[in-house]
Amino acid sequence: MKLILSDVPLKIQIKNDEIKYVDLSSLNIANCMGCFGCWTKTPGKCVIRDDAVKVYPNIAKSDELLYVSRIKYGGYDSVMKTMLERAIPVQQAFIRLVNGETHHVQRAVSLKNAVIIAYACKQISDEEREVFKRLIARNARNMNFKHYRIMFTTKQQLEDIVANEVQKWEA
Amino acid sequence: MGSIMIINGSPRAIKSNSKEYAAIFLKNCKCKTTYFNILKTNHHELCCKLKDFSDVLFVFPLYADALPVTLLNFLKTLEQNPPEKKPVISILINCGFLEYRQNDVAVEMMKLFCKQNGYRFGSVLKIGSGEAILNTPFKILVVRKIKQLSHSIVRAKYKTLHTRMTLTPKMFIRASTVYWTNYGKRNGLTKQQMETMNIEE
Repeated sequence: MKLILSDVPLKIQIKNDEIKYVDLSSLNIANCMGCFGCWTKTPGKCVIRDDAVKVYPNIAKSDELLYVSRIKYGGYDSVMKTMLERAIPVQQAFIRLVNGETHHVQRAVSLKNAVIIAYACKQISDEEREVFKRLIARNARNMNFKHYRIMFTTKQQLEDIVANEVQKWEA
Repeated sequence: MGSIMIINGSPRAIKSNSKEYAAIFLKNCKCKTTYFNILKTNHHELCCKLKDFSDVLFVFPLYADALPVTLLNFLKTLEQNPPEKKPVISILINCGFLEYRQNDVAVEMMKLFCKQNGYRFGSVLKIGSGEAILNTPFKILVVRKIKQLSHSIVRAKYKTLHTRMTLTPKMFIRASTVYWTNYGKRNGLTKQQMETMNIEE
C-alpha cells in the first residue's frame, strides 16, 4: 500500500487505486494525552476514538509513504506532529535493541520507503534543514523506515513536487 | 538573584513525570521559582507572565522524537506574543529510552526557536530512562543533576547535563519489560495481550 499524508489540501490526480491520500487538515484529530492506554489498556487501539484511528492503521500497512508537512523549528508543524503522536498504537510498550539503541517493539508495521517533503512560505535556512534531517534520521529508527528521502520546498512549489513523486509511484 | 518560571510542556501535565521533575527542581532551587502547566486555554496568560522572570525552564518529555505538540503550539503562540523583556530559556527533557542522546533533536529544536526569536539559550538537562527512573534507586542520580541544573541557572553559568539509569541496554530492556508488564497487569492484561501485533482489529 502507498500512502500520502499531507497537512494541507493538495490538488493532485491519483490514478492508481493502491495509493491512498489523506488530507490531515480536514480531519478531527485530538492531541495524544500520553495515557499509555494504547499500550496497557487496549493494546493497538487508541482510547480517543476520533479520526486518527482511521489513519494510523494505514501508516502501519504502507510500504511506500509520503509525508507532506510545513516545517517549524526544524520539525513537523502541529497538524502532522499531532497525527504522528497519535500513531503510537502501532508500537508496543516493550523495548528492543535496534543498532545498539533502545526502541519500542513494532506491531504489524511494514518496512517503508519514505519520502518526506518539508515546506515553508519562505526559504528554509540551512540550520533548520539540518535539524529536520536529524529528526527524520531518528524517525527512521522509530517508524520502520527502510529507506528515506527528504525534500525541502516552498509552499508555492509544493503541489508540483508532490505530483512528481506520485508520478514516480504510478510509473 | 533572578527568578525562574517553570513551564511544564507535557501533554499529561497534571499526572506527568515532568511535574515530578519540576517538583524536585522547586524543592532544590535557591531562588524564587514559580510553576505553570501549559493548558489549551492559558497560552496568552503564560506569554504575559514571561516578562516577570529572568529565566524560563521548560520541562517536557520527548514525543515522537521531537517536542510534544502541546509545547510546540505554545511556542507558536509565544512567537506571536513575545514578552517585552525576554528571559533566558533552559530545558529539562526526558525520554523513556535508555539513551539520553535520543533527546538531542528536541534540544536542537528549542535552540532554533530561541535563535529565531531572540532568546538566549541557557542550560539543558537530558534524562534517559525517564519514564521509570524516579521509581528506582537511580532517582538519586536525577536529583543530583537537577540540583546542578538549578545552580547553573541561578548563577547564570549555563551548562549541558545528562543522566540515565546506569544499566546496560540488556538489563534496561529486562527491567522495562517488568515495568510495562506490571503496568498492564494493573489493567487486567497479560503480557501476551499487550504484545498483540494487531492494530485496530
